[in-house]
Amino acid sequence: MKKLFIAFWRRNLAFSELAVVSNLEYRFNFFIDAFVQPLITVGIELLMWFAIFESANAAQIGGFTRDNYLAYGVWAPFLGRIAVSWMYESMMVEEVASGSINVILTRPISFYEYYLSQLMGYKVTTTIISMIAPLLVTFFFDLPIHYSRLPLAIGLVFYYLFLVHTLSFVISTFAFYMTRVRSLTLVKNLTLWLLAGELVPIDLMPPAIAKLLLLSPFPAGVYTPVAYITGRAGSELVLQSFISVTVSIIIAIPVGTFLWRKGLQSYTGTGA
Amino acid sequence: MSFVIETKDLGREYKTYQKKEGVLNSIKGMWNREYISKPALKNVTLEIEGGQIVGLVGANGAGKTTLLKILSGLIYPTHGSVKVLGFEPWKRETEFLRQMSLLLGQKNQLWWDISARDSYSLLAKIYDLDIDTARMRVKHLSEMLSCEHVLDTQLRRLSLGERMKMEIIGSLLHNPRVLFLDEPTIGLDIVAQSAIRNFLQSYVRDYKPVVILTSHYMDDIAQLADRLLLISKGEMVYDGTVNRFLKSTETSKKLIYRYKNDQQERELIFQESELSEKLNEVVKSGEVVNLKIEEVDFEEVIHRFLAKESRI
Repeated sequence: MKKLFIAFWRRNLAFSELAVVSNLEYRFNFFIDAFVQPLITVGIELLMWFAIFESANAAQIGGFTRDNYLAYGVWAPFLGRIAVSWMYESMMVEEVASGSINVILTRPISFYEYYLSQLMGYKVTTTIISMIAPLLVTFFFDLPIHYSRLPLAIGLVFYYLFLVHTLSFVISTFAFYMTRVRSLTLVKNLTLWLLAGELVPIDLMPPAIAKLLLLSPFPAGVYTPVAYITGRAGSELVLQSFISVTVSIIIAIPVGTFLWRKGLQSYTGTGA
Repeated sequence: MSFVIETKDLGREYKTYQKKEGVLNSIKGMWNREYISKPALKNVTLEIEGGQIVGLVGANGAGKTTLLKILSGLIYPTHGSVKVLGFEPWKRETEFLRQMSLLLGQKNQLWWDISARDSYSLLAKIYDLDIDTARMRVKHLSEMLSCEHVLDTQLRRLSLGERMKMEIIGSLLHNPRVLFLDEPTIGLDIVAQSAIRNFLQSYVRDYKPVVILTSHYMDDIAQLADRLLLISKGEMVYDGTVNRFLKSTETSKKLIYRYKNDQQERELIFQESELSEKLNEVVKSGEVVNLKIEEVDFEEVIHRFLAKESRI
């Protein structure tokens, strides 16, 4: 048992390392993705909220000050970037559609595990670098956030990433049947973007919808951690998010496993 | 006797969508699609013992890659039974996967963006190998293939021949008991083909895995295979040794000649019994300045045999 456990970690750490090594091979792309892109996003948010408050000529909008919005605007895209899996989801879909998955199927590797570990490895590396931008802005403008709450908030987003990956796994199984599922990926990611509260803070949504959304796992990706670090919510909302994410993972994994097994039965080993 | 590979009445059908020409039919296809079922493999029964190199030969679409995919667990059979090392391959049990390897000559198995050495280190962890033992094995195999100098180069920057050598090392790193090689020399120049053939020959002699080899280069099969399986339209049409196959087919000869005004040599293939008749024909048709008679090579015999089979 101990041997299996060690082998499991050894293998998965190697997958994480693979993501880091592969991405660092392309230094320029990595630098843009991990540093320049977050910096530009933060810049846009700053300009947008400055302009909104300037033109509104008001100290508060919807009960929140400019600094509240700035804090949300700076941290929501940062956490939102962690909470998506565009790159790895399209790689998973492409593997199934093109038949490159043959390499995984003929080795003692689990497709789910292989991509999950890579996703985590990549996200940990990029998060460390891309966090510089929101930290600098928060410090410079003295935005209202609780620094001590950052580890738990980021921890929640990484936990939510397990759910995001499981949903990517489910989507990728559709490629066994339909080959091209890009549109499905797009619709799913846009929906998650909205439900997570990155596009519009959940506070600004109609109360009934906001209440319902907060019971779902999706705000764990953006709204809950941002609300927690900016002081708009307490640890009870974080706990509730952990629970709803756990329940969702428990539901999504068997669905993915079922579709995966059915998909393999119809798989033709494309391209080999 | 226990066999490493056993199949009984193994078959696989593929369902294919039939798209009729034109935009209207594309629109119609949104809700109503016509599918046809095509058998790719029909009732194949096989028994393969340990330590054999089996050459699997057939024309494109004959079913050889389908057979390889079923044996390696990539796809499910539609009917029949299959056991490889005592496992049903399609169940993809870890113990089975740890003991076999599939090398697809037309696909990369290693990671494109990293060096071969990094790939091997990852493979060692996937197969739970001792890292020092794996390093020793990489050293040994790369020396055998004379490619130590490219181990630290990113895979995407290697030539086709170098990349294939790297792929071969990767597929042998965990010392598999069964090795499926699908076109391992495809696209390689003669020197690289020969290097890989020689390597495989000495590797199999030393480590004794079961090897199932498909190739369009008959030299691969003639040099390496102990046993030949010929497959045509999904059915096994020959199962035996290469020598027995050559003896069982009609003995053919090749007449190579050149007329005085010709720039290039001409060739004529005929049965041994027709020698005088064909010689007369050639001599009567012009002034022959060069003439020789050769045995028809293995590749030609196979092609003629399969062409005949596929017309049936």
